[in-house]
Amino acid sequence: MAGAASALFLLDIKGRVLIWRDYRGDVSSVQAERFFTKFIEKEDDPQSQDPVVYDSGVTYMFIQHNNVYLMAASRQNCNAASLLLFLHRLVDVFKYYFEELEEESLRDNFVVVYELLDEIMDFGFPQFTEAKILSEFIKTDAYKMEVTQRPPMAVTNAVSWRSEGIQYKKNEVFLDVVESVNILVNSNGQIIRSDVVGALKMRTYLSGMPECKLGLNDKVLLEAQGRTSKGKAIDLDDIKFHQCVRLARFENDRTISFIPPDGAFDLMTYRLSTQVKPLIWVEAQVEKHSRSRIEITVKARSQYKDRSTATNVEIELPVPSDATNPNVRTSMGSAAYAPENDALVWKIKSFPGNKEYMLRAEFSLPSITAEEPAPERKAPIRVKFEIPYFTVSGIQVRYLKIIEKSGYHALPWVRYITKAGEYELRLM
Amino acid sequence: MAPPAQSQRTQSPSQPSGKGEVSDLKTQLRQLAGSRAPGVDDSKRELFKKVISYMTIGIDVSSVFGEMVMCSVTPDIVLKKMCYLYVGNYAKVNPDLALLTINFLQRDCKDQDPMIRGLALRSLCSLRVANLVEYLVGPLGLGLKDSNSYVRTVAVIGVLKLYHISASTCIDEEFPLTLKHLMLNDPDAQVVANCLTALQEIWSAEASNSEDASREREALISKPVIYYFLNRMRVFSEWAQCIVLELVGKYVPSDNNEIFDIMNLLEDRLQHANGAVVLATIKVFLHLTLSMNDVHQQVYERIKAPLLTLVSSGSPEQSYAVLSHLHLLVMRAPFIFASDYKHFYCQYNEPSYVKKLKLEMLTAVANESNTYEIVTELCEYAANVDIPIARESIRAVGKIALQQYDVNAIVDRLLQFLEMEKDYVTAEALVLVKDLLRKYPQWSHDCIAVVGSISSNNVQEPKAKAALIWMLGEYSQEMHDAPYILESLIENWDDEHSAEVRLHLVTAVMKCFFKRAPETQKALGAALSAGLADFHQDVHDRALFYYRLLQYNASVAESVVNPPKQAVSVFADTQSSEIKDRIFDEFNSLSVVYQKPSYMFTDKEHRGPFEFSDELGNLSIGAEAAENVAPALMVEANDKDLLLSTSEKEEIKGPAYNGSAYSAPLYDASSPSVSSLSMQSELAISNPISAGNASPSIFAIDDLLGLVPATAPAPLPPQVKLNSKAALDPGTFQQKWRQLSLALSQDFTISPQGVAALTTPQTLLRHMQGHSIHCIASGGQSPNFKFFFFGQKAEESSNYLVECIINTSSAKAQIKIKADDQTTSQAFSDLFQSALSKFGSS
Repeated sequence: MAGAASALFLLDIKGRVLIWRDYRGDVSSVQAERFFTKFIEKEDDPQSQDPVVYDSGVTYMFIQHNNVYLMAASRQNCNAASLLLFLHRLVDVFKYYFEELEEESLRDNFVVVYELLDEIMDFGFPQFTEAKILSEFIKTDAYKMEVTQRPPMAVTNAVSWRSEGIQYKKNEVFLDVVESVNILVNSNGQIIRSDVVGALKMRTYLSGMPECKLGLNDKVLLEAQGRTSKGKAIDLDDIKFHQCVRLARFENDRTISFIPPDGAFDLMTYRLSTQVKPLIWVEAQVEKHSRSRIEITVKARSQYKDRSTATNVEIELPVPSDATNPNVRTSMGSAAYAPENDALVWKIKSFPGNKEYMLRAEFSLPSITAEEPAPERKAPIRVKFEIPYFTVSGIQVRYLKIIEKSGYHALPWVRYITKAGEYELRLM
Repeated sequence: MAPPAQSQRTQSPSQPSGKGEVSDLKTQLRQLAGSRAPGVDDSKRELFKKVISYMTIGIDVSSVFGEMVMCSVTPDIVLKKMCYLYVGNYAKVNPDLALLTINFLQRDCKDQDPMIRGLALRSLCSLRVANLVEYLVGPLGLGLKDSNSYVRTVAVIGVLKLYHISASTCIDEEFPLTLKHLMLNDPDAQVVANCLTALQEIWSAEASNSEDASREREALISKPVIYYFLNRMRVFSEWAQCIVLELVGKYVPSDNNEIFDIMNLLEDRLQHANGAVVLATIKVFLHLTLSMNDVHQQVYERIKAPLLTLVSSGSPEQSYAVLSHLHLLVMRAPFIFASDYKHFYCQYNEPSYVKKLKLEMLTAVANESNTYEIVTELCEYAANVDIPIARESIRAVGKIALQQYDVNAIVDRLLQFLEMEKDYVTAEALVLVKDLLRKYPQWSHDCIAVVGSISSNNVQEPKAKAALIWMLGEYSQEMHDAPYILESLIENWDDEHSAEVRLHLVTAVMKCFFKRAPETQKALGAALSAGLADFHQDVHDRALFYYRLLQYNASVAESVVNPPKQAVSVFADTQSSEIKDRIFDEFNSLSVVYQKPSYMFTDKEHRGPFEFSDELGNLSIGAEAAENVAPALMVEANDKDLLLSTSEKEEIKGPAYNGSAYSAPLYDASSPSVSSLSMQSELAISNPISAGNASPSIFAIDDLLGLVPATAPAPLPPQVKLNSKAALDPGTFQQKWRQLSLALSQDFTISPQGVAALTTPQTLLRHMQGHSIHCIASGGQSPNFKFFFFGQKAEESSNYLVECIINTSSAKAQIKIKADDQTTSQAFSDLFQSALSKFGSS
């Protein structure tokens, strides 16, 4: 971080200051508010959407969450990437405290917000952003009072993301392997881009300071051990770890070892850029009968093995914005017209592998059209789905060992799920 | 903290409007203040909460100051926290009241609970009231020695706060030295990290006033300190890691092995989940390997995957920040992402700020092999409902076309745009077709056919209209009805609001006239008379100019208006390479997002640490500027940069340089550092070797700046005595450097001691100053350094200007001397060399 932030602002949807914390005294809230309210008014100007903007010597960096803007202001040449990420961390922290971050929850909790802003940054430099650790500083919730009168100890630990003395009756770890498939298909049916972004999401409920070790069917590791023949090995493109993982250890012998933070966190993320077959393929035909009627025929096909089943499939089909009187038939699931999105949403609760379903829809169009037709919308077909017990990459957790000096036995639970990320087919 | 008393905020009826409620609170607080009844803390808490909420929504509650302070005599930490908050908010506007709080804050700084000690200390330091500084020193000193690390972290930042309230107190109490000790010895990582941030800021600010401070600042990037941080990297929090990595990026390793060691040590940071850490690591890698071409390329390969992941995962804001950096990288090394162009395809519901950067990336990575696919994709966007992005896409297609890859296919596409019959698409496409025709006249036939069919009535945007009119004039031979279209446009002269369009119109009619006179004559007359009557100065002048030109001689007029066409080979780049290099120096900061170096958008007092300031010419350019060029060439190329930078800054800032990457040190006679250094105030040299047989390069003309051929120096050079207190401002230097011819150019070897001593440019600066030779600008990084020196004769104001390039790895120095008095330049050269030869041995 090259420079320091001058102040943090929490603003409502119209850009008015709800609460702010001044760190360096060189940006005033009046100045910031005046600029920002004007700024968000100019919605049409594409420039106004940039998350980093400059106005008379001050740089404002902001993100939006629900009906709240979080904004950092600085007069220095600070590190934009770092501060934007910091704001997202701030959202996480607030969510930890208030369940949901919105204008209402901030208004109800001025004092806690001040306390948090006080500890999370000092004189414009980020300090602690782990919600669990911060909770040792935050005293306002009365019932939390009795718990600790001891000094905040995380700071004195070697492990800044976990405090000592955590106790659970039942020691459990939940590990979700979540893969999101991003795909882009052009109007000729060619896949122009596809990749998979995976995450190992962990929730830990463990006592003490547990040592965890995770084994994956990592190609490099298995080859090094001369065990390629056994099962499928995978090669991941770019792996990123949570700060708790001993990175040097991974570099040396590919072991993922760590002392986990308490609660939920992303242990590891990775990317896979190999071409994947679209798991759900959608074809659409649009016929314009005369000038007043349009007919859409859609075929959806699942292209994974029979034993897997996709759930909560949602296919969003764009329709002309002036279409009315939908008349829809489907061979499976239900379809609802969502005029607010100019789309027809086809929902299928359960979609087994190697199946094909159909949808036929008819709309009326106004027979009189405006002299100058509105610009044609070229929205893609978008698909959402989840396939449990399945990963595109074939990643597998071979083991998850938990060792704590008290010697308790902990239960690891592992789940796999594949879901649609940015899944777009430009077929209409 | 909430602003004290915002009267312009409109209150909703349900909110308390002020006075009544505040006085209620006041009475209630007063009642509770003395009470010791059980449960009184709870009622106090409720009241305090109310006060804080009022404060936050903008009601002035400063009138309860006294009551708040009275109530805060309590062991309850929640109450204390709220009270600190309140006090911090109102202390600045009520310094007298603030004095009331000092007492209890000071007492709390000695509380048993470290939490309270820390909080009290932080509040005390945040009061920002100058006349309370004396009360700060004691608690801060104790805080720095506190056994609890939380208190120490707070105290360290407290020192920085004190520095900003009263720098002199902070320095006099020797707090920076305590911080330095803590930084190198404290067991707690956050304390260490805070020490580093505080020291960077303090010493950078102090460096302009004191030698010691600048030495200390240098010491931060010395080997032992850097290694100390590198070895402890893992214990730091992610934010602290960013700070440490930023520091490591400033370090200049002594040899290649060291570079590899550092990179091996840091490689795992590329896998950190925090994108800011990854970017910071990338910066270190790129800057370390600047002088190693092969490795530098490998670094690009290595960082590709992490960067692409950062773009496609995480928040759109992160993508935005990372894409800005990718764009910078791709400008320096277009090949790196050439095969990954698909990562920059836009998603339908991405925010447009991300889409815009992606379009820029697509333009930048286009090459022979991928142009076709990229343009196909861009055409998809052109038909999109999002009009600004559609426009950007068309512009992107045009930019790619001008890059000369697969022009054929692109021209077809552009022409298709023209046929789409959407106003904004046509408008953008017309501008592009015009640029294309200027570069590739051979395509005129295909284009003109299509352009001719566009009705000028459908084109409204000034830029597009101007482009169309330009084509009508330029290709009036090929377009049948060009004169008539122009004529009808002239008829509507008064409705044309854009001066740009009217300017083009006058010129186009002139062009057309010389090609098809009979058909245009009438229109020309109308245009000229309309132009002469135009209220816009430029239009009027141009019409008058044409009129007189025609009056004078029609054939001359033709050669002026219709000269033989020349294709434009390269369109001017909007940004100089110097600016780009500066932005690269500031990688991982706002400069990259704004595509501007930081001096353009920050004030002097807000420059971050290590953006070196004026006092010692401590530069970080030169060698790292252009890694692809062989060292010798590279320094050559930077000549201009150094000189430019001095003048440019003068324009912007006046004499007060607040250097970003570049700076020109100025020693005026009054500066204490100069007088202390220039012990040998006058240096005389006896008659040196005859200069008559100086190297043949005397006659070489300086290819960059020398405009006048050199004359040979007089055979018998007289003695030279230099003025130790010479002064020359950069503007004059630059002017002289341009005007004077090259008097002397010599190569020689530097002693090994000299090489060893030359770790940073300023060591040499100090040494040369001792010999009355002053530096005006310097730059570079090991092994290449470059300096501009000057000396002044003692008795008269005759100057010697020297450009000196030193390569420490080959121990070679090259000097070029220009002088007001050419006859003495050899003598000065000998003086200069003898001074240089003593460097490192003293």
